[in-house]
Amino acid sequence: MSKKVLIIEDDKFLRDLLGKKLSSLGFDTVLAVDGEEGLEKIKTEKPDIVLLDLILPGINGFEVLEQAKKDPSVNEIPIIILSNLGQSEDIEKGLSLGAKDFLVKAHFTPQEIVKKLQVFLS
Amino acid sequence: MENLNQEIEKKEKELRKIRLAFLNILEDTQDAKDWAVEEKNKTMAVINNFTDGLLVIDHENKIELVSPTIEKLFKEKKENILGKSIFKINFKKIKLKPLIEILKKKKEVYRKEIELGEGILLEMTTAYFDFGKRKGILVVLHDISKDKIIERMKTEFVSIAAHQLRTPLSAIKWSLRMILDGDVGSINEDQRDLLEKTYTSNERMIGLINDLLNVTRIEEGKFLYKPEKMQMEGIVVNVIQDSEDVIKMKNVSVKFEKSKKLLPPVVIDEEKMSLAIHNLLDNALKYTPEKGKIAISLEEKDNEIVFKIKDTGVGIPEDQKERIFTKFFRGSNVIKMETEGSGLGLYTTKNIIDSHKGKIWFESEENKGTTFYFSIPV
Repeated sequence: MSKKVLIIEDDKFLRDLLGKKLSSLGFDTVLAVDGEEGLEKIKTEKPDIVLLDLILPGINGFEVLEQAKKDPSVNEIPIIILSNLGQSEDIEKGLSLGAKDFLVKAHFTPQEIVKKLQVFLS
Repeated sequence: MENLNQEIEKKEKELRKIRLAFLNILEDTQDAKDWAVEEKNKTMAVINNFTDGLLVIDHENKIELVSPTIEKLFKEKKENILGKSIFKINFKKIKLKPLIEILKKKKEVYRKEIELGEGILLEMTTAYFDFGKRKGILVVLHDISKDKIIERMKTEFVSIAAHQLRTPLSAIKWSLRMILDGDVGSINEDQRDLLEKTYTSNERMIGLINDLLNVTRIEEGKFLYKPEKMQMEGIVVNVIQDSEDVIKMKNVSVKFEKSKKLLPPVVIDEEKMSLAIHNLLDNALKYTPEKGKIAISLEEKDNEIVFKIKDTGVGIPEDQKERIFTKFFRGSNVIKMETEGSGLGLYTTKNIIDSHKGKIWFESEENKGTTFYFSIPV
């Protein structure tokens, strides 16, 4: 069965690019455009893994992460932060809130992001 | 009788002379007094109109003089400050504690930053004076609250702008990569060549933004984030490994001469130290022609770890050596070489070394090579 990836990303182009890449590699992709939708889809879709942006309209990525980790029905789902923030404090905060990894978008190619996903999916 | 008259006349003359002399003296005294008053007024005018706050504390720690700016800074009337002991005074709106702590150390300070409450930032300078009978301290307080706000706004702006810039660059990077990886169909060699070059330009832009972000962080004073005790050697090895592709491409030999004995660990921020070394290696690689040599070494000397990187590159022009660590500076000879560069690398590196309480220096001769050194206390 193909693995389900939830992409929470407000930039349409980035969301589509990544969605396309993942679909072409046989992943089942679910997209969310903001924090609220993302949090809801974590709960309703129960993805195998989440790619989470931080700067989002409405509730931001940190809050999504925090709330997801508080909910026992979804707190086991690995969440990887994929953001263009990337200062030490942001990384520290993300990891301490329970993110599996912190990837700076501009520093990773889609292929490299998939590789990271596979590490946490296997 | 005649004698007597003569005598009286003589005395009278003398008395007149004395009177004149006295009048002269009196006049001189009056002049001196006027002059003193005038001088005092001048000094007071200077003090009263001085934009920095001035405070004079006498040898019994009593506040002897308060300038109007001090009233504003302390948010208190002069009457409530004058004559009181600086160590016992208590104000409602500000905390004097940081200022008192400095005075207690009895050492002169120059532009020391102190915070007397939420957002009240001052630079404090003290000067001890001793005119025999009169001893005391002059305290100068310079308000930098506004400067700090502006500075913070500036760095926040750059930081946000840099993050915002990264988003479209990510989109360019991702789509180019996907095209190059054949995710959307095949492309011919000419197209590939062009797109590879575009990809490289984009990577350069991403690198430039990283440099800008680092500079902003330096200026925000947040640069040293996680100092830990560790070995320098591992960091150097990793930095060289990360540059392996560039080293191969440039066809330059890079040798790392490890110290024969185990070096003592130093307290460093791994990420920043890597960046500092990376910048030095990057410069050496950029400015050393093909088949050149780069030698890196680490050694312990006088309780310091000394890092050395020697290249056979283009060197730094003599007249520009002074400016080498300034922001956005690039050597005139390297600008002509058209290698990319932001002029932020050495500025960042120097700041990293400074924040580790280390020193950085170099030797260079044009067209022969450059050696950069830095030392970190053990």
